[in-house]
Amino acid sequence: MFQKVLIANRGEIACRVAATLHEMGIRSVAVYSDADRGALHTRVCDEARWIGPSEARASYLNVEAVVHAARDSGADAVHPGFGFLAENAAFAEAVEAAGLAFIGPTAAQIRAMGDKREARRIAESAGVPIVPGAEGADGRALVRAANAMGYPVIIKAALGGGGKGMQAAHDARHLAEAIEAAQRVAGSAFGDASVYVEKLLERARHVEVQVLGDGNGRAVHLFERDCTLQRRHQKVVEESPAPVLTADQRAIVTHAAVRLAEAVKYRGAGTIETLVTREGAIYFLEMNTRLQVEHPVTELVTGIDLVRAQVEIAATGRLPFEQHAIKRHGHSIEARLYAEDAARDFLPQVGTAVRVRWPDGPFVRVDAGVESGDVVSVHYDPMLAKIVAYAPTREAAIERLLGALDDTRVHGVITNLPFLRALLRAPEVRSGSYDTEWVEREFLAGFTALMQAPAPELALAAAAIAEATGPGRTRANGAAPRARDPFSELGRWRQSGLGE
Amino acid sequence: MKTTWRDGARVREVELRAIGPGRWRVRVDDAEFELASETMPDGKLRLATDGRVTVAEVTPAGPRRFVRLGVLDFVLERESGGSRRGSAAQGGGLEAPMPGVITKVMVVVGDEVSKGQPLVALEAMKMEHLIRAPRAGRVRRVEASPGQMVQAGVALVELEEPAPGA
Repeated sequence: MFQKVLIANRGEIACRVAATLHEMGIRSVAVYSDADRGALHTRVCDEARWIGPSEARASYLNVEAVVHAARDSGADAVHPGFGFLAENAAFAEAVEAAGLAFIGPTAAQIRAMGDKREARRIAESAGVPIVPGAEGADGRALVRAANAMGYPVIIKAALGGGGKGMQAAHDARHLAEAIEAAQRVAGSAFGDASVYVEKLLERARHVEVQVLGDGNGRAVHLFERDCTLQRRHQKVVEESPAPVLTADQRAIVTHAAVRLAEAVKYRGAGTIETLVTREGAIYFLEMNTRLQVEHPVTELVTGIDLVRAQVEIAATGRLPFEQHAIKRHGHSIEARLYAEDAARDFLPQVGTAVRVRWPDGPFVRVDAGVESGDVVSVHYDPMLAKIVAYAPTREAAIERLLGALDDTRVHGVITNLPFLRALLRAPEVRSGSYDTEWVEREFLAGFTALMQAPAPELALAAAAIAEATGPGRTRANGAAPRARDPFSELGRWRQSGLGE
Repeated sequence: MKTTWRDGARVREVELRAIGPGRWRVRVDDAEFELASETMPDGKLRLATDGRVTVAEVTPAGPRRFVRLGVLDFVLERESGGSRRGSAAQGGGLEAPMPGVITKVMVVVGDEVSKGQPLVALEAMKMEHLIRAPRAGRVRRVEASPGQMVQAGVALVELEEPAPGA
């Protein structure tokens, strides 16, 4: 087993990976940029290495700096988290060339699946149906192809994923503009401006399957997740099991996912994303060759720690369990807390999270990247935390998540918390009758109107009284600086005879 | 004590008069009422009106006040004496709507632009926003260049005033 692992990421996912490493008795190394000096993820790891200036390109996306930090720290493996370099084949190669293990798939697999056009070809040859689409560098050719297949269409970055930079177009005129915008975002976010066009399947649901592969042609699935509740093609609420999948559909989609993973001899954790149409047809969207943001819902219903599984596969080349040992119980649902103004076109927000209080209670999990006093900067993704609930049934899980969101406090930076709380109270969400466009089509206008209503007089009175009654009462009573755990100061230690 | 607050698009006025220890006469816009307040050890306010008690939590962050009232959150912005900061970033369309990096400038000074034409592309947190012309006109000033980092509300492009009768 590894002795020390560098986490090539920041925010909540770096904290989450560190938690499993800590449990496994593996030392963790954080990396940080100028903007992240003293950030939470550097505080929860055993050590931290500076990798460059605030701009992601110069730090978290800087292959050379991250690999240097890994080698210099004496780590024997690198966990990429998600985003940043997680799906960068050159990074995986550089890590392995430096003599370290990459906790993820092979560079070739990242490359194949990272090029979404190639991924579509692989899926097709593995017998997994794909969405009709077209590719090519020539914008005008893409417009012609879109005209032929009919609108609306969606433009995606060829090397993209996770919904970043995706643009929908409803006619040829907007398509040309959208292609150009998508090319720019693709160029700056993924380092390659290539895009492709797919038919936009309307009123479809997003269902994805978690897989683990041993790298030698054996793979297992950990059931599906439903990530249909989205805004701007970005997931906001995810759950497992998918609420409206039939047993037949579930069998089809999980078998297809395993077939695809085995066909490419997939190594590590990956996710096969599909769209399920109103008619019940299932289409391959893309394969994400990394841990997903929403992996906690799978962990809660299966009891399997996916980060631990990733680490074990990377260290041993074997799956830690067989398919028949993977069971699912109950229901789990997750809400993503973003620093964004949902009532103003989801504009990202920056500022200092002056007062942060996360919920607790039985069967509530919070994967957070900030604490009171932490800065939310313009440089990185605006996701602050994931709040996840588990219960025996979907109804009870939603109820529990709502309670947890009611208990959540993030003051100092505007977040989508009011949006999440309203969303989970919507009758359509309770009954499961929605699709990937539903939030924008049917929910948002009412929510925005609600947010534009005047604040109650009592809120204004409270603000004025707080200001009038002296400096003491308006101070942010954020968490005091945490005393370091004296045992973590000692580093990794074990009773002799118990370790490996 | 009179204070002015921005509540979304509204500007609202609060007048506070102490009428006893922890007791206030409050006017918010046109509504007047009496209120008893008590600051609890954790910093929260216990507010009593007409025998009903509400717990409020007020967190200042710059000019903003994050107010938790019972289970609801509100964000108010303190307007400082007389200065009427317009919500230009929302209305004009020529200012950066959020902090970010300019990725593309599509016009130069002197260009005639039509309403809705994209002028500047701004990227923040991996999302691109196009700043479009709010009306037809000629570009007078361009204060944006690719790669430049800008704060929210910073003017990026200025259009000439429309000619009268044009």
